[in-house]
Amino acid sequence: MDDLNPLAGTAHLLEEVDKKLMVLLRDGRTLIGYLRSVDQFANLVLHRTIERIHVGNEYGDIPRGVFIIRGENVVLLGEIDREKESKLPLKEISVDDILDAQRREQEQRQEKHRLISKALKERGLAVNADIINEDFC
Amino acid sequence: MLPLSLLKAAQSHPMLVELKNGETYNGHLVSCDSWMNINLRDVICTSKDGDRFWRMPECYIRGSTIKYLRIPDEVIDMVKEDALAKVRNRTEMNKGRAGGGGQGNVQNQNQRNRGGNRNNSNNRNMQGSASASGGVRQFSQNNRSAMQQNKLGK
Repeated sequence: MDDLNPLAGTAHLLEEVDKKLMVLLRDGRTLIGYLRSVDQFANLVLHRTIERIHVGNEYGDIPRGVFIIRGENVVLLGEIDREKESKLPLKEISVDDILDAQRREQEQRQEKHRLISKALKERGLAVNADIINEDFC
Repeated sequence: MLPLSLLKAAQSHPMLVELKNGETYNGHLVSCDSWMNINLRDVICTSKDGDRFWRMPECYIRGSTIKYLRIPDEVIDMVKEDALAKVRNRTEMNKGRAGGGGQGNVQNQNQRNRGGNRNNSNNRNMQGSASASGGVRQFSQNNRSAMQQNKLGK
């Protein structure tokens, strides 16, 4: 790679500019939008962004607009294949329904963690909050 | 346009800032720097779970604690328009120079005489952008006032 290029290292991201990308954040959220700009920290500008929430094989989209994402919070990103996008094996449902489903899923997970920590306690094991919370962070 | 330049362009606009810890801050951007440290005014802070709120007249956020910022669509439209105006202005400038030949200062002529094609084009670019940026401001202002009129018309 050209050492004189001030964007060396993130240069391959420049090729994704103006493409429709999916960005996965460290908090587990999925954003889909058009990449408009990138810098040397891999900070991103996403335009016409939606937040897509998946629960099981259903998903819902929430329009979010323009994002400036601080690069360090990005886990991965990739181009959306327009052809495959139209034949997803998933079902789109309304925002309210997906938020409901997400809330239920979260409650189930919390309940599961409660049981795990209870079982651990009964066996005299210290509850490790990091393990319990790994899905939430 | 780099992400931080866009942030700078969003000054005085409302925005939502989410921190890594999940708290969100809604307010108007007062200022920002190259570390993404920001000043907001008229802020509403929301807790991670979204059930507690705090109002504060101003706040300072350290850039390294930010997860993302959401800015209004207008800012991108505004920036796009300015960039377009810049390009248009530059092509007009070049056209003008090609036709009229221009006056060219002493230095410029010297370089031209040396036959340094490269120097010449460099110089032209620099001149173009320097004088363009002066003109652009005017141009974009015109544009914006035209836009406002449009809005009023609607």
